[in-house]
Amino acid sequence: MAMPKLAPVPAAHDKLRALGILALNGMFDEMDAVGVLRQAASEILAGDLAVVSSFGADSAVLLHLVAQVDPSLPVYFLETGKHFRETLDYVETLKKHLGLINVHALHPNSEDVKRFDPNGDLWETDPDSCCHIRKTEPLEPVTEQYGGWVTGRKRFQTKERGVLPHFELTSDDRIKVNPLAYFSDADVNQYKIDHGLPEHPLFAKGYKSIGCAPCTSVVAEGEDPRAGRWRGLNKKECGIHFDFNGAIAKPMTAATKHNLWKDGAFIADPFHEWAEGDDPASVSYKHVPLAVFLANRDAVLANPHPLGLLIVPGDRIEDAQADLGRFASIAIKFPAFTDGRGYSVSRLLAERYGYANEIRAVGDVLQDQIPLMRRCGFNAFVVTHEPTRQALIENRLPEVALFYQPAGLTEIPAGTRPFLRRAH
Amino acid sequence: MYRYDEFDAAFVAGRTSQFADQVKRRLSGELSEDQFRPLRLMNGLYLQLHAYMLRIAVPYGTLSSKQMRKFAHIARTYDRGYGHFTTRQNIQFNWPKLKDIPVILEELASVEMHAIQTSGNCIRNVTADHFAGAAADEIIDPRPIAEILRQWSSLHPEFSYLPRKFKIAVTGAPNDRAAIRFHDIGLQAATNAAGDIGWEVWVGGGLGRTPMIGKLINSFVPNEHLLAYLESIMRVYNRYGRRDNKYKARIKILVHEEGLETIKGQVEAEFAEVRGGVLTLPAEEVDRITAYFAPPQFKAQPATKIDVAYQSIIDPAYGRWLDHNINSHREPGYASVTVSLKPVGGAPGDATDKQMDDIADIAERYAFDELRVTHEQNLVLPHVAIADLRAVYDALVATGLAEGNNGLITDMICCPGLDFCALANARSIPIAQEISKKFAEPKRQAEIGDLKIKISGCINACGHHHVGHIGILGVEKKGGELYQITLGGDATEHASVGKIIGPGFEADAVPGAIETLVDTYIAKRESADESFIAAYRRLGEAPFKEALYGNA
Repeated sequence: MAMPKLAPVPAAHDKLRALGILALNGMFDEMDAVGVLRQAASEILAGDLAVVSSFGADSAVLLHLVAQVDPSLPVYFLETGKHFRETLDYVETLKKHLGLINVHALHPNSEDVKRFDPNGDLWETDPDSCCHIRKTEPLEPVTEQYGGWVTGRKRFQTKERGVLPHFELTSDDRIKVNPLAYFSDADVNQYKIDHGLPEHPLFAKGYKSIGCAPCTSVVAEGEDPRAGRWRGLNKKECGIHFDFNGAIAKPMTAATKHNLWKDGAFIADPFHEWAEGDDPASVSYKHVPLAVFLANRDAVLANPHPLGLLIVPGDRIEDAQADLGRFASIAIKFPAFTDGRGYSVSRLLAERYGYANEIRAVGDVLQDQIPLMRRCGFNAFVVTHEPTRQALIENRLPEVALFYQPAGLTEIPAGTRPFLRRAH
Repeated sequence: MYRYDEFDAAFVAGRTSQFADQVKRRLSGELSEDQFRPLRLMNGLYLQLHAYMLRIAVPYGTLSSKQMRKFAHIARTYDRGYGHFTTRQNIQFNWPKLKDIPVILEELASVEMHAIQTSGNCIRNVTADHFAGAAADEIIDPRPIAEILRQWSSLHPEFSYLPRKFKIAVTGAPNDRAAIRFHDIGLQAATNAAGDIGWEVWVGGGLGRTPMIGKLINSFVPNEHLLAYLESIMRVYNRYGRRDNKYKARIKILVHEEGLETIKGQVEAEFAEVRGGVLTLPAEEVDRITAYFAPPQFKAQPATKIDVAYQSIIDPAYGRWLDHNINSHREPGYASVTVSLKPVGGAPGDATDKQMDDIADIAERYAFDELRVTHEQNLVLPHVAIADLRAVYDALVATGLAEGNNGLITDMICCPGLDFCALANARSIPIAQEISKKFAEPKRQAEIGDLKIKISGCINACGHHHVGHIGILGVEKKGGELYQITLGGDATEHASVGKIIGPGFEADAVPGAIETLVDTYIAKRESADESFIAAYRRLGEAPFKEALYGNA
């Protein structure tokens, strides 16, 4: 299949800039997927928009939208060479059923495959690299040709996607269009029924999110739909989606070990460690020690970059009380896990001062302390202790899940002592 | 007695399996001893001189015969046939194997018991008056509040890594039998002007290497605000207690160094923030918990009067037991019985598996199935009909627990000492045994009257020597053991810390020195009604010092 050669249309970018991504996101009803796609295809990115589809379990819905708006919109399918036979059949089924006339398969570079995956088992030894050569690399030259992309991502799919908007601006000034962002699992299923869309042959067998055959497993009832992807591995995204929101610039590779555990996964940490001699007026993405902040308050408040605050044992968080909102993250240091002062600091932050941004534990953070830390308001952990990392990845923190006493903001669960069972 | 509901049971089961996992990780080497230590300590597991030691909580000292039988079973199955009752109303087993600990904890959970927070730098088992719910002088039963404190403090997320351990004691009676002024926090029932019952809060007491008498930080905290007030104290301590030196890390040092007024200001400021919040204790909840501690169904008893003088003539041992081991009960026709774990020449606080089974039987038959552990390392049958006293006595004789020496010179508190403990500098049990033999003669003990000897094998003062009328402290000197003697300590509402009387004694000279002190007291007392401590307070240390060391 020949690739369409389309020149980028700079005007589209200017238009978007003028409109503003926020305004764009406010224009559509949450469920108006067709409206979102039509606006993108005909107004904002006319002639400069393409679709990437996995032809997986839920792909039919997005492709049905495409067919309604413009059946000639280019649709790219990553033919990794590792797909289920059923998926390849499904590509043909949908093309025919929906009348799509511009579907292209993207194959990995055969030199790369020969070099990095001569035995075809890279998925097993280094899944990040496998995704990289089979998905990220082949897609890159194509993405460069378009000003925007349509994806089928949905908020409900994973915790990482919980805040997905209809339109996103990527770090390289492209636009991601997510018409289905607000669709729930039930909405997707209902849509399929309402429009009589053919089902992926594996869906009925328990596959909810379908990728390459070796890295996809069946999802249990009640599990995160993407839990079946890279099961057992510390991996949630294949890399092609990592470029969005501008936060994470590089696709994840096996060589990068992330130490920041947040919202159920190890993720790249935008913050760097404060170093002696750093200038509080100009640093970016660093946790400024409380003492430095207090001595340079005006400079820090005038600093235009994202900043955090570092609290060490003995610091009085009260001293920064009025300025907490300035900080995107507060790091509480545990030089030794036996020093429990940070638990009190975190509760004060979360409960008394209403600090709602990131509270991270850094230092000697071990698995047996993390459940207590969470209850005290910590929502991020920088973890280097290897057994603790494993425990987090395997979700087996040693925790007594019943609480006798209230702590934290959200913690009045059923089963607490009767006198603590109260509405707030 | 408190009964677990499903929540309590699930909580303990959760904790048991959590610790089983930690033990597994320790055995597999995934956890280093350094990492395992704070975890095992929070589950009552110590590494002693020879083996692991498991300390099991007896909440506020109250237990049922079923629970006592479980201790007997554990002693028999996993230990060497005995257990050791401690000054914190707990029981310790000295020879369990690490691999058996999870099973032991499961066994305990089956009778609503656990070892949670019996050690480690957290809030320890809350202790209470051992005559709670029975004593004639009681204003209010302290156990419902103690139980609420147990729940509030169990696996508290903020207070599990305190600067140091933290002990709370509660008494509902004006006569303090729970040593509340020697605890990190002591609560004493109090009545305000409106006639409501609340709590005096004492803070910063303790023994150890720096004995301190607690200070009154608040003279009346109503039930409603008690948890919020205590959480305020805990938060101030967690944030500002010293962590640079473990010997200066207890709250008593913080209160001492900063001054009561400073600490009080910080606590009040914190209390002002949390007061009226989620920790507010509704009266219904106090009532709900109190219902668990409803008195047993006492039966109207025929007016039974035992002629102790007559009994003393026909059966002197029984007479002595009646004289010393019976405490007056608030219900007419009933009494509380102290079961001495201080047989002459025995190790204070020890009981064999057989004795534990026997006393469980006695409690079931004669005492509404209830038992208590005292901080003086004895057991108590809190509710016994006076008409049954003879039968109870006979049953105790049969199992070797009928020593009528409660409160007398042979009723000593004694720590395990160098025979068991990794911290000790000197032996203490053999010293207690020798003193006990020296004063074995019952008549002589009765003549001496109330006298509390307390022995510690090191300055950590587990044997409470600071508050012994006569205290004995074992120290190491030039490779040998030496014993310092203190006089004038008192753990009750008349709290005082004993003073060292002079140079220490070799082990074999200790019993003789004690005899000299006792003889001096007898010679100088105004009458047989003037106790040792009263005489000491009147006379001062001079006559005792002179008797021990001669004229300077």
